[in-house]
Amino acid sequence: MLKYILKRLGVSILILFGVSVILYVLLRCMPVDFVRNRIMELQEKADGAVSEELVKKMYETYGLDGNIFEGYYSWFTHVLRGDFGTSFISSRPVISEIFNADRMGTSFFVAAIATVFEFLIAIPLGITAATHQYSIRDYLVTILVLIGISLPSFFFGQMLKDIFANKLQWFPVSGMKRAGWKFPNKFAEFIDYAKHMFLPIFTVIILSIGPRMRMTRTNMLEVLNSDYIRTARAKGLREGKVIYKHAFRNTMIPIVTGLAGLIPSLFSGAMITESVFDLTGIGSYALKAMTEGDIPVIMTYNMFLAALSVLGVLLADLMYAVVDPRVKLA
Amino acid sequence: MDIKKIFKKGENKTKSDKHYLSGKEVREIAKANSKEMRRLEKEKNRKRPESEYVTSMRDDGNILEIEDLHSYFFTDQGVVKAVNGVSFDIPLNSTVGVVGESGCGKSVTSMSVMRLLQGPTGQIVNGAIRFKANDFKRDKNGEPIPVYEKDENGDIIYDKVLDKDGNVKTDKDGKPLLKPRQKKDSAGLGVYEKEEKVFDIAKTPIHEMYRIRGRQMAMVFQEPMTSLNPVFTIGNQLDEVTLLHIPGADKASAKARSLQMLEMVGIAMPDRVYASYPHELSGGMRQRVMIAMALAGEPRLIIADEPTTALDVTIQAQILELFNDLKTRINGSILLITHDLGVIAEMADYVVVMYAGRIIEKGTAMEIFHNPLHPYTQGLQKSKPTMKSSENELFNIPGNVPNPINMPDNCYFKERCSKCVKKCSGDYPEMIQVSPTHFVACHLYGKEN
Repeated sequence: MLKYILKRLGVSILILFGVSVILYVLLRCMPVDFVRNRIMELQEKADGAVSEELVKKMYETYGLDGNIFEGYYSWFTHVLRGDFGTSFISSRPVISEIFNADRMGTSFFVAAIATVFEFLIAIPLGITAATHQYSIRDYLVTILVLIGISLPSFFFGQMLKDIFANKLQWFPVSGMKRAGWKFPNKFAEFIDYAKHMFLPIFTVIILSIGPRMRMTRTNMLEVLNSDYIRTARAKGLREGKVIYKHAFRNTMIPIVTGLAGLIPSLFSGAMITESVFDLTGIGSYALKAMTEGDIPVIMTYNMFLAALSVLGVLLADLMYAVVDPRVKLA
Repeated sequence: MDIKKIFKKGENKTKSDKHYLSGKEVREIAKANSKEMRRLEKEKNRKRPESEYVTSMRDDGNILEIEDLHSYFFTDQGVVKAVNGVSFDIPLNSTVGVVGESGCGKSVTSMSVMRLLQGPTGQIVNGAIRFKANDFKRDKNGEPIPVYEKDENGDIIYDKVLDKDGNVKTDKDGKPLLKPRQKKDSAGLGVYEKEEKVFDIAKTPIHEMYRIRGRQMAMVFQEPMTSLNPVFTIGNQLDEVTLLHIPGADKASAKARSLQMLEMVGIAMPDRVYASYPHELSGGMRQRVMIAMALAGEPRLIIADEPTTALDVTIQAQILELFNDLKTRINGSILLITHDLGVIAEMADYVVVMYAGRIIEKGTAMEIFHNPLHPYTQGLQKSKPTMKSSENELFNIPGNVPNPINMPDNCYFKERCSKCVKKCSGDYPEMIQVSPTHFVACHLYGKEN
């Protein structure tokens, strides 16, 4: 087992290297040039009088003076030394820009709670839909879930905002914290935070239930039609026991392994939802960095997600061996 | 071809084109089906008093009597009458074989007996399945009544009740507390009194079926490779039956019993098999495990649905030998479903031949094999390879089984029959009694002939 894990980790490093090359090349090919935009700004201020020398020096400062290969080499050697660079926009170290409580923390909070609820809601829904196939319950669940899948997050989020924040005023419209307010204690502060987080989390849950529920339903149906379920029924087991012991364990195999694949999405942030609700999460931050061409930030953010994805896949394979006795890793 | 004609609705459809259904027709069928299915499901889930499903047998020597059973599947192409008026009996301590080619309703008959048809599409529409169960006798509180050990004089033996430290417990007067000693079987499980009770399976509510399935009748399926749950150990799946059906069974006694069962079906290392997962066993071993699982509830009726089809010939022989051996050990009967005439000849006392959802001939094994009357049975016999025949090609019955959705009104075998008479174009033939045990449904043997 240990040997298998070490082998997989070794392969992961190779994969990550490949990912970093592709990412860097793509980023440098992007039609956004942070330095040029900065120079244009200067030009506007100085009425077009920006010297060639200054331009060259600016590219040099941001490390974009060489070609793509030189740029990548420089980025790579710095990363090997543990230096992920500084953000172009804020001139602060990338690591502290990304991994702080406000950005990664907020996104993780939203995603973690949303994921827990997603599973708690989607799996029972999927099971009832499967056990009552073609009944009114099945159609109802399927239709509701289909609506959830088809709603675009910007539309659904905006709609919730309009109804619950603007019209009913149950929740704050946007942001993370009530501005200019002194909280009497920690608890009141938390309640306020929770109120701000409710609508975004709700949006994410509704939009993500769909695929998970469909997957549970399909798996459950497949399992329920298998021979060993008939054997279990023939034994005289009650239907509840047949479903929640014999069928459930088999249905869980793909779901549990899918759980490991969710790890990157816990940290990636929900770009659009965060933008709609003005959250300072990592998603909206990454979106901003992307549109402005902040290469060190995007590289670090994406490499972090890539590393999590690779780890997630490894974890999924290990989970397989745990939940399915037929799988042996070697 | 006239292009306009193609686009005109229904014009290019000929009457003989039965495999094609228009969208409208499918919708109409689906609508009628869902109405019928809902009615049957409602009827199935209706609360009913015991008097409605507890009956008595027609003949007390039988363990199972199937009478005019109709099991249908309501599909979007139409109603498939998979079992269409089947009647036969299973006498106590006998093996009844059901033969017929694939898709003739053998398995659906057996599934109906266990009430395992997959609803809402599969339904028992009509008929009675009377089964003589040998259930635990229960007192007023629904608790099973134990059997106590008796000494030579016929008095119940009492044991002194011990507390945790091993001292004899006493009542107020200082007399030791006594408890009757319950009889134990070889696996250490308590024995309870039993009583016979006849259920009409077709009407029995599902909560009663939970007590009958696995306990009174058990099933061995044809696919040992997929019939065991891959994520639980053999032991876990075997213990389940004992824990479910034997009152007072705990984990230790269930394990002892499971090991006993594994040994009984001829597994050499019961301990190893008990701890392994299904995928670690061979097909023959798995089928033995399935048989052990069926035996664990001490059933009166074992339904073996093509138990040897998925196994190779040497293993087949072993499994059949095991079944033959079991017949003497269990106090019950075997319903053996197969399309292998050789298996039937070796195992069965009575044979039922099915064709397209109906019984066309039934009788003792002797009668069916030495004096087959129905042209279909004769054809089946002829298509069996023998050592003696010098022909290179095997005999086969020409044609195919008719489409199960639109069955003709006349004999279903008419199109393939080589001995047709005029009357065959008429109504479906009645069952004709040829000898006390031999019945055939064919116009050749009517009174006029």
